[in-house]
Amino acid sequence: MFAPRPASTPADPPRGCGPAWERPGARPAFAAPVIELRGVHKTYRLGQHVIPALQGVDLVVRRGELLALTGPSGSGKSTILNLAGLIDTPDRGEIVLDGQAVTGLEEIPRTLLRRDALGFVFQSFNLVPVMTVAENVDYPLFIAGVPARERRERVAAQLAAVGLQDHAQHRPDALSGGQRQRVAIARALIKRPRLVVADEPTASLDSHTADQVLDLMRERCHAEGAAFVIATHDSRLTQRCDRVLALLDGRLQ
Amino acid sequence: MRWLKFAIQNTLRNRRRSLVTVAIAALGTAAILLAGGFALYTYQALEQSAARSTGHLIVGVPAQFTQDEDTPLQHGLDNYQALSTQLLADPDVRQVLPRVAFSGLISNGDKSTVMLATGVEPDSEFAVKGPFLNMVAGDVLATAAKQAEVMLGEGLAKSLKAKPGTSLTLLASTTDGALNALDVTVKGVFSTGVPDIDKRLVYTDIATAQKLLNTTRVSTLGVFLKSMAATAPAQQRVSRLNPQLTVQTWLDQAFFYKSVRDLYNRIFGALGLIIGVIVVFVVTNAMAMAIIERTREIGTLRALGTLPSQLLRTLALEGMVLGGVGAAAGALIAFAVSMLLYVVPVQMPPPPGSSRGYPLNVTFDAGMYAVAVLAMVALSMLASAWIARKTVHTPVAEALAHT
Repeated sequence: MFAPRPASTPADPPRGCGPAWERPGARPAFAAPVIELRGVHKTYRLGQHVIPALQGVDLVVRRGELLALTGPSGSGKSTILNLAGLIDTPDRGEIVLDGQAVTGLEEIPRTLLRRDALGFVFQSFNLVPVMTVAENVDYPLFIAGVPARERRERVAAQLAAVGLQDHAQHRPDALSGGQRQRVAIARALIKRPRLVVADEPTASLDSHTADQVLDLMRERCHAEGAAFVIATHDSRLTQRCDRVLALLDGRLQ
Repeated sequence: MRWLKFAIQNTLRNRRRSLVTVAIAALGTAAILLAGGFALYTYQALEQSAARSTGHLIVGVPAQFTQDEDTPLQHGLDNYQALSTQLLADPDVRQVLPRVAFSGLISNGDKSTVMLATGVEPDSEFAVKGPFLNMVAGDVLATAAKQAEVMLGEGLAKSLKAKPGTSLTLLASTTDGALNALDVTVKGVFSTGVPDIDKRLVYTDIATAQKLLNTTRVSTLGVFLKSMAATAPAQQRVSRLNPQLTVQTWLDQAFFYKSVRDLYNRIFGALGLIIGVIVVFVVTNAMAMAIIERTREIGTLRALGTLPSQLLRTLALEGMVLGGVGAAAGALIAFAVSMLLYVVPVQMPPPPGSSRGYPLNVTFDAGMYAVAVLAMVALSMLASAWIARKTVHTPVAEALAHT
């Protein structure tokens, strides 16, 4: 059985969590951890085949940090995102969000944690097509029960921050790919999450738009103080993250 | 409201599918309401007919309703005029009609046949009951007639080759067992619409009946009230004032009405159930397709922190919108058809055992409409929630990976 270990400290970085390289201006190592994965294992079953997706991953992501996860397909990037985003559970190991162990939480408290503390950016945007841009951005606040007046103000501010204030009443299908991803980023950040997980956020975008989206994520990351964990194959994106971790066969390199 | 708006927006994603679903729900609801309205009209017509035939209340001695008579009017009412006066004092009573029921033979001199006769007070009877008989020839009876008169059923008149003005002879046992005969004149020929009854039925006035039977009694008193709704309270009051008598309601004697109601309830109940199941299946199918198509979106909404109960609610609301709009449209269609049938009458063929058709009418009943629409809405919501529950509880990562 997996034996829980004490939470890692800035002076004692978790095993296997060494950065491939760190960027100038990255978050200092003493910033508070937002999410910690400790000795996390995850396997998937496909028929009779058992596929080890993660094999003892330790990872700490700190407040305001933009962390990129790279690696070939099947290396475990999306699995880490799913676990960090509390939409999947590890077979072994522990996940700590803001100092709170969340591994054994039931579905409802996990959902509430996702609602209140986590943001998601998907490769294909995953906006709700029947909602307007403003309604998509407003949705996380609506389900959290934020009063309508406060929601209106925050949505307007967030749309202005991503440069889409003039598109508030448009539907997603009237927007370009870059605009849609900006809506998705606004939706992820509207609730001021502690962690945003982004799965290939620039994969569906051309290089110019991808740069714009990355700039936006970086700016919002530092402005909001939220940590970003980004799974990506895009080398331009990794070059502009605070830290890059490479995954291979379910292990951090 | 936001969830409802979201549900409405979702139903508009695939407009053709939603339109087909709403159309089937509308036709199903309209079919249920039209069938129910027709049954209701039939019930109301039969209720009126039954009450008009016997009176809302029927007053007699207890044995009249439980035992066969050995001699005519053995269980009849004495001094019925006093009782009639007492009954007329009740504020809900409109009229009290005495009846003498008897049987015997009727003859034209060459041919005799069995008759089932009823002695009535003609003026009151026909004034209260209105045109309940279809007069084929001649006129209805009159109280102040100088000679003994009868009205014959159409089949009986034909059998005896009688027409208005024809002289016939009535033969019956008197109350003391002797055989009595009385010459009468045919005043009119009528049809009840039921050939078997028209072959036997004879109406005469009370005085003629009592003279033939050698009695002053009547069989029962038919009490006609100002409204059907007054039946139960009036029955209680009359029973309280006359504990020695039995007071039945029209329903106690409306065997045909009860049989038809039982039959129709089963037929239309089964029909409604089948239509309801079809509508629920259609809504369920539409929702199932919509939910499968949106599995990934449902996963996204779950990832964003939407509780399963919130998603179930909005998906149930989608079902409610489809079923509700369909049911409302169906109710409008049914109402329009009901009104149209009053403007453009449609005649139904005679039912078995009857010689007369009847107008096809469909009653509008607000309660029935409300129940049908609400039931359709509730069933659609439940069906949608039931079909959505599995997808809503699918692991988020699995739902997001759905293609």
